[in-house]
Amino acid sequence: MPAWRYLNNFDWILFLAILAACSVGLAVIYSATTGTPSSGAFHRQMIWLGLGLVLMVLALLIDYHTLAEFSYVFYGIGLLLLALTLIFGRVVNASKSWLGVGGMQFQPSELAKVATILVLAAYMGRERVRGLGVIHFAAICALIGLPVLLIMKQPDLGTAVTFAPLFAGVVFVGGIRVRTLLILAVIATLALPLSWGHLKPYQKERVKTFLEPTRDPKGSGYQLIQSLIAVGSGGVMGKGFLSGTQGQLQFLPEQHTDFVFAVLAEERGFIGAFLALGLYFAIIYRCLATARAARDRLGVFLAIGVVCVFAGQALLNIGVVVGLLPTTGVPLPLMSYGGSSLASTLLGMGLVLNVWMRRLVN
Amino acid sequence: MGFEQDYKGFQDYYEARRLNVRILVIQALLGAVLVVYLLAFWYLQVVKVDHYRRLSDSNRLRRVTIMPLRGVIKDSENRVLANSRIAFNIRLDREKVPEMQAFLPRLAGILGIPETTLRERLAKYRGRPAFEPVILKEDVDLAEAAYIESRRLELPMLSVEVESRRNYLYGPLAAHALGYVGEVSEDQIKADPSAAYDLGEIVGKAGVEKQYDSGLKGVKGWKQVVVNSFGREIQEIEEGRKSNPGRALRLSIDLDLQRALEEAYADEAGSAVFLDPHSGAVLAMISRPAFDSNVFSRRFSQDTWEGLVRDPRHPLQNRVSLSKFAPGSVFKVVMSIAALEEGIATPARTDHCTGSWRFGDKTFQCWAIRKGGHGYLRMREAIIQSCNVYFYRLGNEMGIDRISKWAHRFGFGEPTGIDLPHEEAGTVPDPEWKKRANPRDPVWHPGETISVSIGQGALEVTPIQMAVFAAAIGNGGTLYRPHLVLSREVREGVEEDEHQDYVVRRVDLKAKTLEVIKDAMWGVVNDEGTGGRARIAGRDICAKTGTAQVFKASRDVDADKLPKERRDHAWFVGFAPRDDPKIAWAVFVQNGGHGGTTAAPIARAVLERFFGKEDARTGVQQLASVAVSQ
Repeated sequence: MPAWRYLNNFDWILFLAILAACSVGLAVIYSATTGTPSSGAFHRQMIWLGLGLVLMVLALLIDYHTLAEFSYVFYGIGLLLLALTLIFGRVVNASKSWLGVGGMQFQPSELAKVATILVLAAYMGRERVRGLGVIHFAAICALIGLPVLLIMKQPDLGTAVTFAPLFAGVVFVGGIRVRTLLILAVIATLALPLSWGHLKPYQKERVKTFLEPTRDPKGSGYQLIQSLIAVGSGGVMGKGFLSGTQGQLQFLPEQHTDFVFAVLAEERGFIGAFLALGLYFAIIYRCLATARAARDRLGVFLAIGVVCVFAGQALLNIGVVVGLLPTTGVPLPLMSYGGSSLASTLLGMGLVLNVWMRRLVN
Repeated sequence: MGFEQDYKGFQDYYEARRLNVRILVIQALLGAVLVVYLLAFWYLQVVKVDHYRRLSDSNRLRRVTIMPLRGVIKDSENRVLANSRIAFNIRLDREKVPEMQAFLPRLAGILGIPETTLRERLAKYRGRPAFEPVILKEDVDLAEAAYIESRRLELPMLSVEVESRRNYLYGPLAAHALGYVGEVSEDQIKADPSAAYDLGEIVGKAGVEKQYDSGLKGVKGWKQVVVNSFGREIQEIEEGRKSNPGRALRLSIDLDLQRALEEAYADEAGSAVFLDPHSGAVLAMISRPAFDSNVFSRRFSQDTWEGLVRDPRHPLQNRVSLSKFAPGSVFKVVMSIAALEEGIATPARTDHCTGSWRFGDKTFQCWAIRKGGHGYLRMREAIIQSCNVYFYRLGNEMGIDRISKWAHRFGFGEPTGIDLPHEEAGTVPDPEWKKRANPRDPVWHPGETISVSIGQGALEVTPIQMAVFAAAIGNGGTLYRPHLVLSREVREGVEEDEHQDYVVRRVDLKAKTLEVIKDAMWGVVNDEGTGGRARIAGRDICAKTGTAQVFKASRDVDADKLPKERRDHAWFVGFAPRDDPKIAWAVFVQNGGHGGTTAAPIARAVLERFFGKEDARTGVQQLASVAVSQ
């Protein structure tokens, strides 16, 4: 098929929505960090955006079938990097999640995420299954479980949690029976009190704080309360660019990473939050459209994998900002400051664009 | 292209549809979550916006107090005793120092402070926010402040802070009357919530600084500033209220008399107070050992302060109103008045002193025992010679109830009401008092009356009570409430005299009684009495000496050869001149031995200054009247 036909079939809406989200993210990072010790964040994020866009283009130029063929190699490299991180990683905030290569720091867990999506799609794409057998189920569990275990070992619970929507999405679309789903749900409900005992004290604290934020307003409840104040005081129109007091005066912790959406809502108000949410929904919707339009099972699971991780992270992050979910430390894809997350998200989006571009059989 | 065959297409139409349905379920699920999120934003940003705006404002806006300048304290002739001056402190902005350890030696050189001291000062700020400046050197002179200011480019981390500081122009002069200021204590903040003290606010801690604090401190102002989450001020947005400077206070203390008193008192311990006998106004007062009030205004004065608090000689205690001792022979004046007024004795009453008097199974001595007693004396001689035996017998005849009644009439056993924060009441013993004070031995023994008769026993008075008593004799029987403040500033630049009735009570005395007592007291100084050292020709000084026993000396020991701390306390109490007195006083010297030896010369020095000033004043008046008549 000639190259111009691929270009004709390019999903411009998804591409532009992604660029728009990245631009909004850059603007908010700029506003949130000027005059603070992390004022270099804006320029670093620009560089990572450029790098991410290059990766995205690479991911959409190579036929996804070719990529899937080498998926086990990528997956292997991903696991190896995770193992290396546990040995040589740099400790930041008591967890070893960073690996340095020639002066640049990145999180191998983000790379492993894309590799896992790819390998799952490759596995599910080959099988022709009605419903999901025990072996399939076990295979999916193993493929996801390996990187998750390595990431939990760092420990980086936030990143590990983002594999959960991937698992749910692949299992659900893979055809798990409704009956099995119900049984799993019952087991999960029963296991919940048991797992409480295995949570770390700070994790228990987060859940308790979520249920009752005023319990400890200066300590663990502080983030949540300050985030609600930022969002709420933004009002309909917002306080204006560079004028959000919660962000500018650094009452909001992590204002350019985990709480970037709170800064956006404070400075741009309900209108800004509405439009930004719309942008995320447009991206999610286009990814799901790609999954439905894919020409084979590989394409379906590739798009499903990417969109589940993306939507999971976005909803988890924004849910924390408005106080609907307990604090998890998940970055907002495309907007939060963080090069590895941005690059891996763009890489994943490249795969979705790839599937859409090659949706038509000759 | 080559790998496409490895991946299966869809088995059939149904499989593709089945996948489609499940994807649509996910889509619907995500759509629903999105709606919930939109509702959450709507609720926070539209419904509850006012609530969160308020919270946001209280986050970022801080009310900052503007401290007013403290009021000036002046003497009776408007000479400034205490004011507020500008002080320069050198501060270090730790955020602007890249490598503290490397910078310290250079800093030590610039400021002339040893490196170890700098380290100690920095250590106190460990754990405080880094933007909070550290005061490294306080109260530097203008030259040093200018030196630092002119090197802002070279030394951006150093800056000069300007603050107002309480300044006592004469250091320890009248320290106990003036008192001192310091940071408000936590107890004070709790005790008076209506005062709305700020943490670290400077308030009066003693003396008139404390007594008149509300006027002196002025009215605080405030402004609103924007702060960030670390509390650093970002900008000032409005001035809410300007501060009102504190109101000036004019004391009745006369700097000239005070200086004369401080000089004459030399290194003795004790106290003295001089009053205007027609108003109770304090003209001079001293308490020794003293302290320099300026010490408390300094920041790095912890050691000095602790030294003052722990000093066994208690320099912080105001001995004018807080120390109480036996009045000794001064009490013989009270005895004489009581006897004359109650009709127990006439001035002509004569007694014979043989140096001691046996009463019951005890022998009470007279100080003249070594020369075989005073012989025959009348009341006037008994006062002048301060004969004990005369008053032993007089007291025995009069009884304790009448003695204590007259002591109370002259203000003993109750606070005088002087405008200072604390005051002792002293003790005037009687059978009732003994029942309360001594449950083990509740019965009043006649021998105790004998002791009280010469001002010993359980009798205790404060120097200020003695001065008030002396003033009352001088002015014919009026007890005034002693006070330090003459006038107060009520509005800026407008002073108003204190229009208060300072009369506590008038004691009715027969003219004859007054005449006899005054004449006897005149004789103490001018007729070869015990107070001859206070004599100034032509001034008709009237006084009575007294000794409060510390150590019961045997008759063979020469009192002047005892070690200082075992010597008796000396009193010299009186007024002058005899007719229409202008000044009354009580001088008390701890371990001073005999009142006439140590206390009388101190009073004399102040009186010389007092009459010198008065002569100058009347001289000018006479010159003026001569000039007018010509």
